[in-house]
Amino acid sequence: MLVLGFQFENINVTRNPQQQIFLTTNNRLFKIRIFKKMATNKDFLECSTDLYNYYGAKPKGDIQSREINKTPSPRADKARQLYFETKSSASVEFPYWYTRKWQDLEGEVPIIRRAEALKAGFEHLTPAIFPGELLAMGKAHYLRGSYPMPWLSEAFFLAQEDEMYKEIQKAGKVSADEVTTMGQGGGNVTKSSGNVISIAGKFGLRKEEMPMLLKVAKKWYNRSVDDVGHKYEQLVPDYKTKEEIMRAVICMFDSGYTLPQGREVMNYFYPLQYGIEGIINICKEKASDTAGYPGMDRLYFYKAVQTMLEGLQTWINNYAKEARFMASLEETQGQKEEYLEIAERLEWLSKNKARNFHDALQLVWIFHVAVLNEDAISGLSPGRLGQVLYPYWKQDMDNGTLTNKKTIELLECMRMKFTEIDCFASMGVVGGVLSGNTFNNLCVGGLDKDGESAANELEMLIMESAMTCDTPQPTLSLLYDEKLPEDFLLKGIECTKIGTGYPAWVNNRVAMEFLFSNFKKEGMELEEARAWSLGGCLETSPGSWMPLELNGVTHYIPGGSAPATSVGVHFISLPKVLEAVLFDGMDMRTGQRVYPPHGFKLDSYEEVWEAFKKYFSITVEVLTLTNNIQHDVWGKISPSIINSMLKPDCLELGKDISNKGCRYNRTFNVEVCGGVNLVNSLASIKKNVYEENSFSLSDLRSAIDANFGYVSALETGSYSLIEQLKTKDYKEWLKIHKLCFDAPKYGNDDKYVDDLFKEWQIWFNKMCKDYRSLYDEPMYSCQISVSTHAPMGAVTLATPDGRLCGTTFADGSVSAYPGTDKNGPYALFSSATCYNHALSQNSQLNMKIHPSVVKGREGSRKFLEMIKAYLRKGAFHAQFNVVDSRMLKAAQKNPEIYRGLMVRVAGFTQYWVELGKQIQDEVIARTEYEEI
Amino acid sequence: MKHYDCKYYLDIDAFRGICKRDKSQINADDSACEHFEKATKCKHCANFSMTETDLGMCMNEYDAYPEMKAITCNDFKWK
Repeated sequence: MLVLGFQFENINVTRNPQQQIFLTTNNRLFKIRIFKKMATNKDFLECSTDLYNYYGAKPKGDIQSREINKTPSPRADKARQLYFETKSSASVEFPYWYTRKWQDLEGEVPIIRRAEALKAGFEHLTPAIFPGELLAMGKAHYLRGSYPMPWLSEAFFLAQEDEMYKEIQKAGKVSADEVTTMGQGGGNVTKSSGNVISIAGKFGLRKEEMPMLLKVAKKWYNRSVDDVGHKYEQLVPDYKTKEEIMRAVICMFDSGYTLPQGREVMNYFYPLQYGIEGIINICKEKASDTAGYPGMDRLYFYKAVQTMLEGLQTWINNYAKEARFMASLEETQGQKEEYLEIAERLEWLSKNKARNFHDALQLVWIFHVAVLNEDAISGLSPGRLGQVLYPYWKQDMDNGTLTNKKTIELLECMRMKFTEIDCFASMGVVGGVLSGNTFNNLCVGGLDKDGESAANELEMLIMESAMTCDTPQPTLSLLYDEKLPEDFLLKGIECTKIGTGYPAWVNNRVAMEFLFSNFKKEGMELEEARAWSLGGCLETSPGSWMPLELNGVTHYIPGGSAPATSVGVHFISLPKVLEAVLFDGMDMRTGQRVYPPHGFKLDSYEEVWEAFKKYFSITVEVLTLTNNIQHDVWGKISPSIINSMLKPDCLELGKDISNKGCRYNRTFNVEVCGGVNLVNSLASIKKNVYEENSFSLSDLRSAIDANFGYVSALETGSYSLIEQLKTKDYKEWLKIHKLCFDAPKYGNDDKYVDDLFKEWQIWFNKMCKDYRSLYDEPMYSCQISVSTHAPMGAVTLATPDGRLCGTTFADGSVSAYPGTDKNGPYALFSSATCYNHALSQNSQLNMKIHPSVVKGREGSRKFLEMIKAYLRKGAFHAQFNVVDSRMLKAAQKNPEIYRGLMVRVAGFTQYWVELGKQIQDEVIARTEYEEI
Repeated sequence: MKHYDCKYYLDIDAFRGICKRDKSQINADDSACEHFEKATKCKHCANFSMTETDLGMCMNEYDAYPEMKAITCNDFKWK
């Protein structure tokens, strides 16, 4: 073929939603401008494509408030008000001292060098005690403080260096970010102002600190985990494809230098059992036992742990000094005493074991923050904290030194501390993936070591405090088991009904089956499978029972015993892979070739499915290999020390996490997003193109190119289907669009599409095992969307299920696409459980229920029975927004009067005003159930 | 001098803080009151010397910046 004077073979003509035309051959791409619109599909129809986003009668009258509304203690209320008025802020203090020490120790053993650098960081953190606090200490001296970690990645700063300097000059002016996914309200610093510079649309940094931040960042150029990892990942044979996959946002991000730890469960056993000085003594003994013997890495590990703990002791005592200083200024007697009590407690805990519940809670918090400050982490879950702390609580209740009221006040203070945690990361990570959330999941319920209900009175108070002081962190999950008492379950229902989305309801038996099948090889027995908990939002994580001794009694407490999960292959966009199949390996948004031509003519549905599997497999393979390299480099340059010390059996073995020191190490996974849109699209293609011949694949491509005659969501700024703008030509595509919409949809107990869903699930869960993690273990599947269904939807063209370009995908993994689940909750449950959920690390179902449906005692019972029915069908997880959608729309219009409103997104609860509009639109569009 | 430079200033965020003396909420960049006392910062340290705008040296060896809080620094010496 001769085009514009060039000779081409195998030419392919395509067009993106911006009406740009691309001519592609196997290895070259040209963009041309057209002057006359291509005309196709002339069948004009008059029909509506509006979505029906209510199941049952559409609510009328005033916006319905949530039924249960409790109030916190005056202390927590004051802390929460202060939080509401506080902006996320970053500091250079820790990275400055870390880097300075690191440079001093050129040539030192890497893990010792790392420990000394971390120690310097901790020792120099400026302490801050806020009035009214009962639990002290935080990540940085700001209330919502955090800091960059350029030793992981400095590219983010260097790449923006010039822009940042300009910002310094023009501080106070708005820097528009057209594609931001950050929420525009709440604590996000979205614009630079005065002497504060906005970073990543979220964090405020004093402009005086910016020159040092850039200077420190430059010192890590070619030395950070990101840079060194990049150097070696390029040795992977198919590396170029990986780059194209990342550019096309088929994969969301690399995990090795962004969030290398997290999505895991803390283990507080060692500090509680031995105290800091006790652990230091263990390290000294172990170092003495290992010095000079083969396996010398153990010696360095023990020395590194000791160094870090000594740094933590200084850090804690600095806070104690500050508390005494605050007391010296205080004239109010009660507050003065509280400062002195904080000082005394911190001084004690800097060396010794916890004496009581308050001590234990403070010590747990200290180590939680210590781990968070060690690495860029999201999803560091306290796990089954109510069971860990129960022995202390029971001791204090029995001896009369603690009351339920005081317990709730302390727990509310704990909630504020967890809520104040921020994770510093780039906009793509902190906004696009995390929605500003930090995913500290606290689990209640489950079974104890002997297989009996593990629920206790303290967990009832934990749920009560989550109602009186409803904040995003820690989020709650109820590990449902038939053995749990009814009053405990009803307490969970009462909490769910407050509408904040927690507790999530999670099936204990399904999780145990998953763990047992995946960790048996590493020695997991049934007893230990019961010690599991959720890391991050929904990552099933193995645990162990550790023998805590208190008052001469041994209590077996659960805690995490595995490294980070949700590392490996992070979020593959399934609809985007299908898009590449339809366009023979091209990314139509950028005009770039991502995959080699798949070689299928796509003459049958089976060929579409085979081509999809081919591209998906290429993606998993190259991402597995490159991420393995990144994580290996992370372990060499920036190993975990404190978290390693905490996790059985690192301290026993003398091995850190990256050297397989944990009891269970098979935690790398393959995460996907947009599965329901994929399956709905496959159903549409199968039915419309191949079975009923309603239109050709070529017609479908053209319709997708034209976004079914709608304006792209990226232009309208509306990211769900309920508010979209038609072009004047939309009728040209209406027939195809309607057929795509009318094709079978997941979530309606429709065998046609559910069979496709099952086929996908079985294939996906099996194929993950064909790939080996860094630790030479087979990978497994993980199916949560977090917030990725928004940015990944934003870069994806219209899909064959009728979804439009730029709009979000369905959330979670088994949630229906908004407005398409029309047969009620039990039909949705049947679709969701058409495969075995224990094959995957998780599944995720979000439902939105109108408050009137679950009102009163009868409503609670009905609600609980519905959840039980779903879980008894073998489901893994369900979570609920009990809210009137009209309230969400009102909050979108008037965010200033809804500062405290929270919603459940996908595994996490977040303040509405801190969510990006993409996610807000998606939550509004979800089907609202008016009947259950 | 600004609240931000005061010994009694407790940061809430990058914009504002609390006066440790009277517990009032104050803006970081507003003028300080009569109770102002210098905060322990590098710019007040004998070991610190300015080299360029917003940057300097600590003990003639390490990069440093004048506004850095130094209350936890063992080498801090008032000028």
